[in-house]
This record gives sequence, structure tokens and C-alpha cells, in this order.
Amino acid sequence: MERRSEAVHVHDSLNQTDLPTSTGSDPVVAAELKHLIEKAASLLPSQGPITAFVFLNTLQALEDLPFDEGVQKGARLFGCQPYLTEDNYRDKLTQDRIYLSDLELALKRDLKEQADVTIASVTTRRQLRLAMLQYPLRTGPTEELQWFVAETDALTRLRPDAPSSVRDRFLTETKHWVMRDLRTTVVHSHGQVDHGLRSDHPLPIVELIDRFGKASIERWSAATWEAFTLQALWRTCRNGMFGVTPHVEEKPQIIRHRDVLRQASNFDTDSLVHPVLIRFCAAFADQGFSNWSLPHRDDGFFKSFLAVYSQEGGPPERWMDALPAELTRIAKAKMTPMDSLIESLSILGVPSAEWEDFITASLLALRGWAGLIWQLEVRPDRQAISATPGCLMEFLAIRLILERLALEYAAKETFHYSGPLNELRQVTGSGLEKLSHSSVEQRAFLIFQLAQVLGWSPATLCHINSQDWAELIHEIESFDSMERRRIFHQAFERHFRVQTLDAISVHGVRTPQRVSSPRFQAVFCIDTREESFRRHLEEVAPDAETFGAAGFFSVPMYYKGVADAHYAALCPIVIKPQHWITEEVDSTLEAQNRRRAKTRRVLGTASHNVHQGTRSVAGGAVLTASFGVLASIPLVFRVLFPRMTANIRRHAGRFVEPPPMTRLHLERKSETPGPKGDGIGFSVNEMATMGERLLRDIGLTSGFARIVCFFGHGSFCLNNPHKSCYDCGACSGSAGSPNARALAAILNDPRVREILKSRGLLIPDDVHFLGGLHNTCSDSVTFHDVDRLPESHLADLEYARSALEDACERNAHERCRRFQSAPLDLSFAAARRHVEGRSEDLAQTRPEFGNASNAICFVGRRARLRGLYLDRRCFMHSYEPLADDADCTILGRILGAVVPVCSGINLQYFFSYIDSPGWGCGTKLPHNITSLLGVMDGAASDLRPGLPWQGVEIHEPVRLLMIIETTPDGIRRIMSRSQVVSNIIKNGWVQLALLDADSNRILVYRDDEFHVYEPSITDLPKAPTSADWYRGWREHLGFAQIES
Amino acid sequence: MFDAFHMLGLLASGSAQPTTEFEDVSLLFKVLGLLVVGAPVIMFATLGIASLLRDRPLSERVIARCVQTGIITGLIASITMLGLMLFWNDTQVPIEFGSWVHVKDYHFVFKFEFDKLSVPFVILTFILCGTIGAFANRYLHRERGFNRFFVLLSLFVVGMVTTSLAGTVETLFTGWELVGLSSALLVAFFHERPAPATNGLHVWIVYRVSDAALLLASIALHHMKGGGDFDKLLTGEWPMVGTPLEPNQAFFVGVLLLVAAMGKSAMVPFSGWLPRAMEGPTPSSAIFYGALSVHLGAFLLLRFSPLLEQSLALRVLIVVVGLSTALFATFAGTVQTDIKSALSFASLSQVGLIFAEIGLGFRYIALVHILGHGCLRTLQFLRAPTLLYDYRTMEDAIGDRLPKFSGAWLNRAEESVRTWYYRLAMERGYLDSYLKNYIVYPFLGILRRCDALEQTWTKMLAGKESSKAPTSEASPTLEELL
Repeated sequence: MERRSEAVHVHDSLNQTDLPTSTGSDPVVAAELKHLIEKAASLLPSQGPITAFVFLNTLQALEDLPFDEGVQKGARLFGCQPYLTEDNYRDKLTQDRIYLSDLELALKRDLKEQADVTIASVTTRRQLRLAMLQYPLRTGPTEELQWFVAETDALTRLRPDAPSSVRDRFLTETKHWVMRDLRTTVVHSHGQVDHGLRSDHPLPIVELIDRFGKASIERWSAATWEAFTLQALWRTCRNGMFGVTPHVEEKPQIIRHRDVLRQASNFDTDSLVHPVLIRFCAAFADQGFSNWSLPHRDDGFFKSFLAVYSQEGGPPERWMDALPAELTRIAKAKMTPMDSLIESLSILGVPSAEWEDFITASLLALRGWAGLIWQLEVRPDRQAISATPGCLMEFLAIRLILERLALEYAAKETFHYSGPLNELRQVTGSGLEKLSHSSVEQRAFLIFQLAQVLGWSPATLCHINSQDWAELIHEIESFDSMERRRIFHQAFERHFRVQTLDAISVHGVRTPQRVSSPRFQAVFCIDTREESFRRHLEEVAPDAETFGAAGFFSVPMYYKGVADAHYAALCPIVIKPQHWITEEVDSTLEAQNRRRAKTRRVLGTASHNVHQGTRSVAGGAVLTASFGVLASIPLVFRVLFPRMTANIRRHAGRFVEPPPMTRLHLERKSETPGPKGDGIGFSVNEMATMGERLLRDIGLTSGFARIVCFFGHGSFCLNNPHKSCYDCGACSGSAGSPNARALAAILNDPRVREILKSRGLLIPDDVHFLGGLHNTCSDSVTFHDVDRLPESHLADLEYARSALEDACERNAHERCRRFQSAPLDLSFAAARRHVEGRSEDLAQTRPEFGNASNAICFVGRRARLRGLYLDRRCFMHSYEPLADDADCTILGRILGAVVPVCSGINLQYFFSYIDSPGWGCGTKLPHNITSLLGVMDGAASDLRPGLPWQGVEIHEPVRLLMIIETTPDGIRRIMSRSQVVSNIIKNGWVQLALLDADSNRILVYRDDEFHVYEPSITDLPKAPTSADWYRGWREHLGFAQIES
Repeated sequence: MFDAFHMLGLLASGSAQPTTEFEDVSLLFKVLGLLVVGAPVIMFATLGIASLLRDRPLSERVIARCVQTGIITGLIASITMLGLMLFWNDTQVPIEFGSWVHVKDYHFVFKFEFDKLSVPFVILTFILCGTIGAFANRYLHRERGFNRFFVLLSLFVVGMVTTSLAGTVETLFTGWELVGLSSALLVAFFHERPAPATNGLHVWIVYRVSDAALLLASIALHHMKGGGDFDKLLTGEWPMVGTPLEPNQAFFVGVLLLVAAMGKSAMVPFSGWLPRAMEGPTPSSAIFYGALSVHLGAFLLLRFSPLLEQSLALRVLIVVVGLSTALFATFAGTVQTDIKSALSFASLSQVGLIFAEIGLGFRYIALVHILGHGCLRTLQFLRAPTLLYDYRTMEDAIGDRLPKFSGAWLNRAEESVRTWYYRLAMERGYLDSYLKNYIVYPFLGILRRCDALEQTWTKMLAGKESSKAPTSEASPTLEELL
């Protein structure tokens, strides 16, 4: 009975609102809604499949706003934190990660000429704000403050962090005031004075003296004076605050019905809607994990939902009783998702002026899944099963249908309200307060606390008039927590910026010189993890020269290895590759390869059967009952002895892995590229262009060594859904070794060299290029195509190899200092074993720290920074300013990639650290892989994009400091050419400094101007080797010169 | 540890004439038994007391060392026990901790029993908990709840050991409760988010229903036979046991035990809590819902298997419950899109089968099935985060997208029927909703009516408005939970 009446009710409310029930909504309205949805979608997390982790600014959609405005707006929209908490920053103040002078300067810069304005004749604005930053101001509900004042020692002891000089002055002044002015008044005026005329002899204080015992006033102890002063202060502050117009703050308007209802009744309708939506979204997005796919999936989100949920006999949940009828009605009326959306908006009573906010808030309520659906829609090339255009709108339409039902149910349950939903917000929200204002006690307590650290004694405060009181409290209230955190953050960034620029300026005195006749050259990815590796390599082999370039080495491609099933895009996410490259087995080994591939296929099918079988009834029964106990062996051994089991598994794997002799299929036979047959590969001209571009970018056009190695990097670790975020960011979250290998093969090709020669880039005949892989997790280096190396170069390779091995061990050692579970006294070799163990350990949630702690990006000659300890915090791209033209063409194309990519990485870490559960994906421990696309927390939750806490733990959230070896003119030209670069730099999403190519002069970019930087030091600490500098330290380390 | 070795020395000297040194042997057994039970208790006490008394929790290293020592001691003692039992062919060793209450016909005894059923179960417990302990030691490194996790894990070990070795129904109930408590608290491990807390409470409520059934069963046993000692209720050595209970008595007690087992092992209709329990850190999900606590219901039935012999109806009931759960879990499992839910339904289908095996009387098969399933599923749960890598590896090996094992049995059905079943599977059989609609709401309704009645009465008696009883305020939260 009850069910039917509710179903009828839905139709009633429809009739009341008189809606279009057939297809054909107004095209103008539809277009506007579509536009609004797309606008809101740009705010959604842009994380596609987690297997190809992409680093982008979490707030990319807000990059056209200045940084502070952008993060604060983002924080409001997402309900997250824009900066660290004040307490975090104050901890940094005590740990010397921020100096007081940094705070002062940040304030001064922020206030400009407003800094020295006098406030209420007791202080200046700068002084007041500095005190508010330095000392925590506690507040709370009025009742709590009354309790606090009455029950704790707040009125007997001065706050312990008050500086001692202030403290003494504060007490003496009061004593003088009382003894000199008040006591006499008290004596003479007892019972007859007209207090109205004697405002400097306030009655409450006079009373207070009486209460403390005015007879014994000369014998009051220090403690009594302290208590008296504080009580007098509290009374003065309270009296001062009486009658000051209250500071009224309008609460932000609540747009979603759910939020109104929740505030009014504590009932969360999302707790009804979300479980259904999450299950459905997961089924819709599933890339093949479940055995039974969603019916009608190909018809799109909306139709599929209608098909699945419109039949009778569905979930007996009370709030969903009317769902089948409602969906049937929609289906019968042949409504499009757009019709349904417009209908829902009108039933909910959302006027078109509120559409944008309402749609944004509704989409952000389940932003992980909404974002994924948007990605499936706009980037169909990134996963096997994608979505049709308009899918996000369909999602929103379904969401609002469910929301309507949940709201009706909740309104009935909590308010016994069964009227139309378009009045629900007004009806339930009427009882809520729209304004918030602080009480007299709350305001008095602020001044009370500040007075103690700034030394405003009751005597001083007694003399200020009511206008001053109003000015004072207004001043305090206008510098609210958000503002304080903003200033703190600026000071924090300034501290690091000063240290960095000082170091570079001191180090920059050296004349930059390339290594003359180097034994070998090595080109690494721009990644911060390669900073330490390059430094160690240069320490063990001073005759080696290193370069940095974006890790796809200018070879964008779809790549498929011998043992791979699918192509993967190996280039930055902003580029869509045009070429396909495969790896092929040497023809002599073809037979063996086929045999092994067959074995692999048999084993793969078998393991897939087991995988599925253990989850079925019959198969599971047979497998678990017969072999189940045997699983205890791998279980126990893999957990207790990870390294040993890994070795055994590796040896076993030898028998089925493809033969080691493989080649890349690089040259294309047909005209047009394609993923199959003759379409695979590049033309010789394309190869020459890519090769030339990379060599010119990094400035390696002369002075070649006999061996030049390119190292892509990847990270190999176990049991880690976020593995891809440790891989190369410039290769869309894959290992970059195929690109390195391809580039080496290209540059070894005599035809390519011939073309390069004709373009003025001469590579001597005895130069040989090699591709390789740096495994950043286990710190090992492997080479490709060594068999192609001429015998004459073997000795050079051996030399390079042994230097690289040493560098690997030392690099592992430097990394180990950051792992709390690695002892500080490890030897180089033991450190290497430690990191290898980490990479093989099922239980390890921190196989490595990726790019965590990144803070600087240097674009310029390595010689400018060689020998400077940068603590793995610096992205480094090689660039030869002297070889560039006046337009800075080369630098322009470098920055076109480096600025968005590095700032994307930096800001992703930034936000994931600032608010880990909010912007990031929280702790890894409860993560649950879903749909083969992402992770949820526990059994069911919103999809969690962003970085896990374990990956960002050691990060320091500062904006990237770009240091570029160029002129203001050059950078301005580049900014005028590229909107992206200009937006990011001008709006301050990165900090920018320029290093002069001929001197150590540094220019800092601020407020669209370049200011000459005055270094504050002339000398840097020196250490013989990196290890001598970092040994024994776990925290962030300062800069030092390594003199090896 | 030292005691164990000392005793092993004794054993070496005394093994020649076992019969003449019977005293020694029973003392040896007693010492070993004490170690098996005592090691986890001491481990829990150390960690628990330290967390209560100290301002800061113990360091990770100390906690790890403590858990390691406790579990290895217990493991060695229980393996030695097994060895000795096999050596002397003495497959039933009771160890008593005194009689606590003795009133005429009633008595409560704290007693442990080592036999063919309990010893393998205890060894499995120690092996899995030890492995999980080692795993969690690294997995939870630097997590704020590190200490809490290990306190709860050791409480769980105490509970498991007590339950498996219990020689009386009261002892069993004690362990049963501890297991339930630690499970629910570990589900709610991340209590800063609402979902784990809600789901933890859900698990807890189902466990309470199951506890109530077990408690009723033990009261019934006391009424019938004056005590809860297994050696009186179940004669002979496991599994060749009989029972002095009448068939109808056995049926009555058996049904209560079955309800208890169903709650603990998430049988239909209680199955809804199992996928919800996946909120804790991965290792706790692995050990609780893949391996140990989900099998506890089956263990209970195995322990009371002679009762089942007495009543055909009961056995039929168990088979029906088991098979329907197995079918349901397989059915719901086919549409799950996340690895942890899929694994939990996979677990459930096997536990359902184990129930059926017990109902059919295949006790050894059931025991082996439990052991095998526990090990395999734990490994699968621990490797759950590797899923993406595994799929990639398999796809690479096969050279194509993985084939689907689709529900062919439904292919012949009509489109709308298939869709209907799909929704049923996706919404997990609506089990939670049915429980809510047909059990929780009526139950709350009765309570509310009682409350209203009470208020009317007090008003009538006192002649004025009485203050509202707290039950009516607590009920809405209960409603939200289920």
C-alpha cells in the first residue's frame, strides 16, 4: 500500500510542475546545459586508468587565475585545504624551515605601503599581523571560552610563549598604573566618585583591586600581580568589546538540497544514492574484470541504467520503491538524458541562474567516478572500453533522478514533508542560520591573547576609545586564518627560494666548462631522481659528461614489446603519437621465440584459468581442497624472504622469456604509418628530425665521446596499484627505455648521420650511441643492443658500465637515508641490496619515493650546477643558451613541454601532500582495485585519484622554482608565443628566476617584473663527496659544493 | 621456548618406555598446552598493557619482536604437540584450568582439548597470523594505527586459539567473542572515515546475533546435560564421536549452533556483511575474511558434528544453507568489479561448500578444504594490489585481451530476465534490504511499541510526563546501519 502511494506521489508532483514529458527540449537550453557540464567537467580529476598515471596540476582548470586565488577557489569547491594548517607552518618555524625574517618579509611584500599604518594607536598593522602569525590564537564556542577562562589558568598565568621582555614590561606597567593612578583614586573616591567622568579609572578594575585586597596591595606577590593583571586585562577586553558592531559573516549559500537537508536534519541522502551509483559506475567503467558485463552497456550510461533498474521486483529498499515506475515513465516518454536532466532541475526547483553552481556541486559530490566517466568519454585512446560522447551528462541525469527519490524519502522521514521538491530547500532550510557572528567573549578572547604577546597592558587598553576598539577587532578579524596561511606559505616558499638562489649564485661564480674529451656521455631523464644519479656518476667518473632531457627523448610513439599484448603510448600525455614501433626477435632465433611464446601462452591461459577457477564454486573446490595447502609455501616464503623468492622466480622465468636478441622495427616501408605490417616505423627523414631535435635541445652538437648512452627510466615493484606513478612521467607512466633504445638506433643509422651532416650537425664515425634503462626502484642499469656495439668500443663500454654500477650503489645509498626502515650505517653495497629487497617485497608500500621533495627545475648547462648537491630536488634539462637564436626557438620548444610537465608533477605532489585524503588518495592500506582502472577506499567509495600518502610523505609542498639560463627578453618572447607557458608563469603556478649565461647574476620574476637577486651568502659548505655531506641525516638537507 | 626445549630433552630420555613415564608425558603435554595457549595471551597482555600505561605506544620494532616471539613460541609448541600426539598415538589430550563454578548439576570448567580437529586449526592460525604479522609489520610501517593493529591482531590470535582448542562450550564462546570483537574493530580501523565505522558496526551487529544463538545453545546444553564439556556431550575421539543427546534435543541445539555458524561464516541470509568487511588494511582483510574467522562457523559445526549425526533434518538444513550460499556467492561474484568484493564472494562460495560437505558427513574433506582454502585465499588477498600487473602479465602471455567466462547458463534466457538477474547479482541479492525490512524494522517497531507502552504506564502511574527512555533515541542510528 505504502509503496503504491509513494509511486503515485511522484506522478502528482510531476503534474503539479507541468513539465514537458516528451522528447524535444529547447535546443538553446540544451546547448547551455551541455556547455555548463563541460565547464564543470574540467574541474573533475583528470586521472584516467591508473596503469598510465598522468601527472597534471590537480587544479588545472583554474590555471587562468592567480595561484592564491586559484587554490582558495579550488578548496572551496572541493571542500579541501588550500594550504597546510597554521600549526604545520608554526612547526616549520620552530624547525627553522621558515625563519622569522621570512615571515616579516612576506608580510612586508604583501602589505606594501600599508605595513606601517597605526592601528588603534597601540600597534602597527605589520606588528599585529606578525604576532598573529607567530603566536597561535585559540578560539572556540562562547561556552567553551567561558569555561576556559573560568576553569583553567588563563587568568592566573601569562601565556607561556609570551616573550620575556614583553612579559616584564606588561607586569611593571600595570603595577605602576595601579599603584600610581588607581590606588589613590580608590582611597579617595570611595563611595562618592562619579565614574562617568573618570573614564581612566574604570569601575571594574577598581572593583578588582578591592577583590584582590587593596589593603595588602603593597604585599601582593608576583603571582598575585600576574593574576590581577590578567583579570584586569580580560575585564578591559570584554568591556571594550561591548557595543562594538558585530562582525557579521554571511554563510556561503548552500546550493544542493542534500546539504540543506543534512544541515537541518543530519540525514545524508548521498549515503543512499552513492552506493547505487558507485556500483553502477564501476560496472559501466569495468575493463573486463567482472565475468558478466553490464547489460546494454553499449547503449550508454542512461539507457543501460534504465534497462537494469526499470523492472519491477528490484531492491526492496524503501527509498527506491518508486524507482522502477519513474524509470519506466521516462523510458515510455522516450526522454533523452537531456530531457530528463532538464526535468529533474525543474522538479528540484533549480532556477537557471543557479545551474552552473548546482551542476558543479552535483558532479563534484562523487568526483572520482564522474571524472573517470569524463575521461572515458574524452580520451577513448587510453583504455580498451570507453564511453560515448555525452556520457557525463547521462551520469548527471541518472544522479539527479536518484537524488530526487532519495530527497523525497528523506524529507518524509525526517520532516514528514511530502510537498513538491522545488520548495524543499526553502522549507527545510528556513530554520538554519544564514549569518554567523562572533560573540563578545570570542572577540575579547582574541584581543586578550594578543595583548599578552604584544604587551598591551590594561593601562594602555583602558585609554583607547570605542572607535579604536572597533578598529582593532576589525583589523584582527580581517586577517583571518586563510590569510595567515597564505602569508605563511609565501614565507615558507621564500625560505627555500632564498637558499636555492644563494647556492646557485655562489656556485655560479665558476666558469662553466664542458668536460674536455669525455670518456663517455650519458643522457638521462629530466626527473629529480636522476639528479643524484648524475651527481654520483660524475663523482665516480669525473671524465664523464651527463645531460638531461625529457624522458621520451623526442621519440613519441606507440610501442609494443616482443612479449606485450598491446601498444602503449610512450610520450607525454599532451602529445598523441603518430607512429607505431614494435620489438622483433632476431630472425635466427625466431623458432625459439615461437616456441617460448607458445609456452608463455599455455602458461598464461593456465594461470588465467586458475585465477578464475579459484573464484568459481567447482574449480575453487577442486583447487583449494587439493592444492590449497601448497599455497602456504609461496605465502610464507614471499612474505618472509622476498629477495630469495624473487631470485628463484627470475631464474624460472628465464625459460619462457623471449630470447634476448631483439631489434626494434624502426623503419617504415609504406608511406603512411599504422599499427600493423608495413605501417610500423618511421621514415628516415622523420628519424633524422627527431634525432637532430634531441641533440640540439640538450646542446650536444659537438665534443662527442666515443660512447653516448641514453637512459630511460622505470620502476619495478610489486603489489602496488600506483606503480605507474613511479615510472617515467614523460612516457605517460611507462618505462622510457624503448624510447632511449629507439633514439640510439636512429642516431647510429649512417643514413641519419648523413642527413644530419647536411644540416650542419656532424657526428664523428667513431661515436656510438646506446640505449638503456635505469630502474629507479632497485637502482640498476641495463643496456640494449650491446651486441651491435663494435668490438673497438667494448673497452669504453666496460669503463662506463663499471662507473654506472658504482653510481647505482651510491645512488641507492643516498636514497636509503630517506627510508626510515633502512639503517643509517649501511654500506654502499648493502644499500643496493636494501633497495632491491624493497622492489621485490609484497608488503612494501614505499618501494621508492618517486619525485617526492621536488622543488626546483633547472634549464641550462649542466656545467653551471655540476658539483652542487641538490638533494634530489631538482628537475634538470640541458640547454645551451649560446647555441640558441635571438627568438629562443630551442628554449621555447623545451619550455613548451617542461613547464606544463614539471609544474604538473610538482603541483600534483603539492596538493596530494597538502590535503592527502582530499586532493590525494589517502593512505594506501585500504585501497581496493576496481574496474581495472582505479582504486577505492575499502569496500565501496568514490574513486580515489591522486597520489597516496606513502608516496608523498617526504615531500615539502612548495611551488616549483624554475631557474632558466636565459635573458628576460628571451623568456618574454617565449611567453608571448605560448599561452600555456605564459599562464602558468604569470599566474604564479611556478616561480621563475633567470640565471645570466655569462655571470652569476640572478633575476627573480615577481609581479610581472624581473628583480635582481641579492645573494645573502658568499660561501657554501663544502664536502669531498656527496656521501660525506648527507651521511647520518634523514631530513631535507641544505646545498653544498662537492669537490671531487 | 626454553620450557619446550627442556621438555624435548625429557622426551628424548623418556621415549623408550612411554607407559612407565606416564606422569612425565602428561606433564609434558600440560606444559606444551600451556605454551600454546599462554604465548598468545602473554603477547596480547604485553601489547595491551603497554598501550594503556605508556604515553607513547611501543616502537614498531618492539611490537614486531613481541608478536614474532609470541607466535613462534605458540607455533613450535603446537607442532611439537602434534608430533608427540602422533608419536604416542594419543589423539585426544585435554588440559584443564580448573572448575570455576560447581553447583549441584551445573558446572563451568575452563578446559582445552587437543585433538585431530583442533591442532591443525591452531597450527593454521599460528602460521597465517605469523605471516600476516610479518607482512603487516612492513605494510603498516609509519601508519598511525600500527600499535592498534597489532593489539587487535594479537587479541584475534588469542580468540582463535581459544575457540579452536576449547574443551567446553563456555570456553569456545569466550574465544568466539574475542574473534568477533577484534574483527569488528579492525573493519573500523580507519575510523576517521564514516564508511568503515558504519560497516564495522554492521559486522558487529550480525556477530551479536550469532553470539546470541551460541549463548542460547550453550544454555540449552547446560539445561540438558548440566555442563558444557565436550567430552560429556560428545563421546569418543574426533571425528569418530557419538553423543548422548536425544535426536530432538540434538536438532534444537543444532539449529541454534547453525544460526551461530551462519552469522560467523556469512551464510545466506547474513552474507551482506562479508563484502562490507573489506574496509580494514589489506592484511587484516586477508586473514579474517579469506582465511580464519570466516571458517569459524564451519569449525563450530565440525566440532559438534556428532549432533548432526543424530538429526537428519539438521543435516539437510545445513546442506541447504551451504549450497544456497555457494550458489548465491558464485552468482553475485560474477558481476563484482572490484578485487576485494570478488575475492570475498569467492571465499563465501567455498565456505558454503564446506558447510555442505559437513552436512553430508565428509568431515576430513571439510577440514582439508578449510586448511587449503585458508592458505590460498590469504595469498590471493595479500596479492590483491597486484591485480593490474597480473592481468597485464596474463594478457601479454596470451597475446590478447583475456577471454571472459561469461554466465553461459543465462544466455538462453530472455533479455529482460537476464537483466533482472543482473540487477539481483549487482545488488547482492538484496539480502541486506530484506534483513532490514523483515527483521530490523519489525524488531525496532516492537521496541518502540514497548517504549510507548512503558511511557503510557509510567505516565499513568506517576501522573505526569516521564522523560523519554534512551532506546527511542538510539534506534534511528540502528536503522541507518543496516
